[in-house]
Amino acid sequence: MATATKSRRAAKPSPRSEPPLLEWISAAIGLVCALAAIGFVGWDALLGERSPPAIEVRLVAVTPTPHGYVAQVEAINHGGSSAAQVAIEGVLSGQGEAETAQATLDYIPQRSRVGGGLVFEHDPRAGRLVLRARGFADAS
Amino acid sequence: MDANVAYGRALARAFGGALLFSFPLLMTMEMWSLGMAVERTRLLVFLLLSLPMLLGLSYYAGFEPTFRLKDEVLDALAAFGVGFLLAAVLLALFGVLGRRGLSFQADLGKVALCAVPGAIGALVAGKQLGEGAPSAHEKQRAGTLGEIFLMAVGALFLAFTVAPTEEMILIAYQMGPLQALLLMGLSVLLLHAFVYGLGFPGQSRRRQAGGPLRTFVGFTAPGYGVALVVSLYLLWTFGRTDGVAPHEIATMTIVLAFPAALGAATARLVV
Repeated sequence: MATATKSRRAAKPSPRSEPPLLEWISAAIGLVCALAAIGFVGWDALLGERSPPAIEVRLVAVTPTPHGYVAQVEAINHGGSSAAQVAIEGVLSGQGEAETAQATLDYIPQRSRVGGGLVFEHDPRAGRLVLRARGFADAS
Repeated sequence: MDANVAYGRALARAFGGALLFSFPLLMTMEMWSLGMAVERTRLLVFLLLSLPMLLGLSYYAGFEPTFRLKDEVLDALAAFGVGFLLAAVLLALFGVLGRRGLSFQADLGKVALCAVPGAIGALVAGKQLGEGAPSAHEKQRAGTLGEIFLMAVGALFLAFTVAPTEEMILIAYQMGPLQALLLMGLSVLLLHAFVYGLGFPGQSRRRQAGGPLRTFVGFTAPGYGVALVVSLYLLWTFGRTDGVAPHEIATMTIVLAFPAALGAATARLVV
């Protein structure tokens, strides 16, 4: 089998001349893409820190609507690993009974932020609003 | 100049192939979240392994009929570029990338993960969408190692389209031990039938190679082994095996080995 392959190879037409310019250009672009992907992922894999998710919840804006006060919040993951199913909670006090609203954010990658909304019956700007993340699942 | 025009057409074909092969993955939600969530060392290993795999694939099914190492390296790199750029453009178009607040690493992970199946598609397209099938001698160049390599690529390719989904885990949970064994038997049976019985193009040599037993030992058994290894590797890469009981890992591997075995069997058809 090996000899047969060899003879067939020898029988094929003489190799082409140099690869065309376009081939070099596209290969160079491919090389840049591959190096960028491997470089960044490798840098992250080898040097990136692996601290647990540290999630800050911050108030962005409050909009009165006919269906309650919508408090737009954003959750910022300052930690070095990602969090999934992040439960965030806002407790509004100072206007009679304390009012709690909560939401779940699917996924917050490391050092990223994701927005969401909490809906209250009373105006959060008038009372004292405490925002925090209650828990999360490990990503993947 | 003619060579450039011809190469440009091959490149356009490569984009077409990459598109056909990778759009199901680009439009799968799990691929996006896995791109962010996959452990970076495993993603790095996956990317580093993909380059020699593309090189090997370029040797057997490049988008140019090449034999020289330099050309194959150029083809493999260009294919990675095609897969990467296509994934970046389409994911950006779908609104997956550049979401306000998400880190650059998250976006890069998504693109890098989707680039590899696209690159396989780009290389395979040379044959699939090409003007005329490659000549017979090119097909028969593959020795035993080459056959196993092609089976592995076929298995990887077909398994990859379903491996990221939750359904793989769900199916494994739903199946009992007996069903797992039956699925295993069915996979081997189908693999053998595809390899031995059905006359797909490019398989004439196998049928001439000997009786069913010899085909079984020579192609079916290693083919299923390759399918199992590729499945386990993919599950590990996607973090599906972490902290899972061994028997559950085995069931998941068997489930994923079903499409992988089909991919290995039809590797010749596809790649």
